[in-house]
Amino acid sequence: MSEKLEAQRRLITVWILRASIGLAVLFVVVGLELFAIRGGAYFPKTPSGSLLEIAADSWQGMLGLRPSAWFDAGILVILLTPLVRLAAGVVASMRVRDWAYVSIGVVVMSLVAIGLFAGRA
Amino acid sequence: MTPLVIVLIALVGGFLGGIIGALTGLGGGIIVVPLLTLVLHMPITEAVGVSLFGVIAISVGAAPRFVGTGLTNLRVALFLQMAASAGALVGALVSHDIPARALFLIFGLVMLYNAVTSFLPSRRSEGLKASSPLAQRLKLAGRYQEGDDWVEYQVGSVLPAFGIMLGAGMLSALLGIGSGVFKVLAMDKLMRLPFKVSTATSNFMIGITAATSAGYYLSHGDVPPLVAAPVVLGTLGGAYLGGHWMKLLPVVTLRRVFAVVLMAVACEMLYKGFVP
Repeated sequence: MSEKLEAQRRLITVWILRASIGLAVLFVVVGLELFAIRGGAYFPKTPSGSLLEIAADSWQGMLGLRPSAWFDAGILVILLTPLVRLAAGVVASMRVRDWAYVSIGVVVMSLVAIGLFAGRA
Repeated sequence: MTPLVIVLIALVGGFLGGIIGALTGLGGGIIVVPLLTLVLHMPITEAVGVSLFGVIAISVGAAPRFVGTGLTNLRVALFLQMAASAGALVGALVSHDIPARALFLIFGLVMLYNAVTSFLPSRRSEGLKASSPLAQRLKLAGRYQEGDDWVEYQVGSVLPAFGIMLGAGMLSALLGIGSGVFKVLAMDKLMRLPFKVSTATSNFMIGITAATSAGYYLSHGDVPPLVAAPVVLGTLGGAYLGGHWMKLLPVVTLRRVFAVVLMAVACEMLYKGFVP
């Protein structure tokens, strides 16, 4: 991989990590504040179902300032970060036509995706 | 217990898990799961589900330190990750069919193993002069930066390490741990990677392994947000501080002191496994 591409890949990885840590912390802290404002005295519903359903429910709840929805959003951001980082690595391998590692990366991403979508209660 | 107290315990537990995990390398899950089961009396499947998110947080939180140093061998990580993720997937799929008592027993044994290895002298493996044929074909050899220089290394025994990753992935999904100790062992002792490379590569892998099974637990309704979110927040903060304190504190002594605590908790977990 050329020096320029490698530097680009590093920069993208660092920004993915920073952005996701920042977003996850922001969502959880806002959730905690809303939880405290409401007196810290309720047990939120534990999410279940497909990830898309959980994400959609979380989005609706965030608009309605429901604390647990903000918690769910923080959790989802953390969950998807390794997958996004992995995808960035696969794209970097594609750019240098390293097809063996593109294939391996796709296999790993498929396994993670099966895990993400196989757990519907 | 009121929701507010649960949030505070989860936050402090995650923070301790992150800080001790970063300082001792023993991983956050080994602290978070006993805390949630023994103190908050959560069902073990929920404790495992929550802990997996703490494991991802530790991996993500520590990752920026390694980027650009060459310490994470992405080719080794991706190749071994096929086995680790496959193991994690199998572990997640069977997790709800395994009795809780069996999980407590396995967890207790893994904790004891972690504690005992903390007292053993760490003998680093010597590097290889040439990579194995399979490692050559996969172009696994690499280099990392040390000061101003780049250190090159070779890679061996790829298939045995691949097999260990399968088991490590399964344990991670069943117990809510990163299984870093097994991953580092395979890379250090079998593949003969430099220790720093093994730990950084393992850190990258534990996040993906945990993500493979964490989604399953979340979709299955085993991740209560009231506990998981504070654990994630606490873990990120703890891992950040722990990473900075590493150079200031006597890490080997800390690791041994903590190993004694670990042994006591392991006994408690084993007791819960033996006595219904």
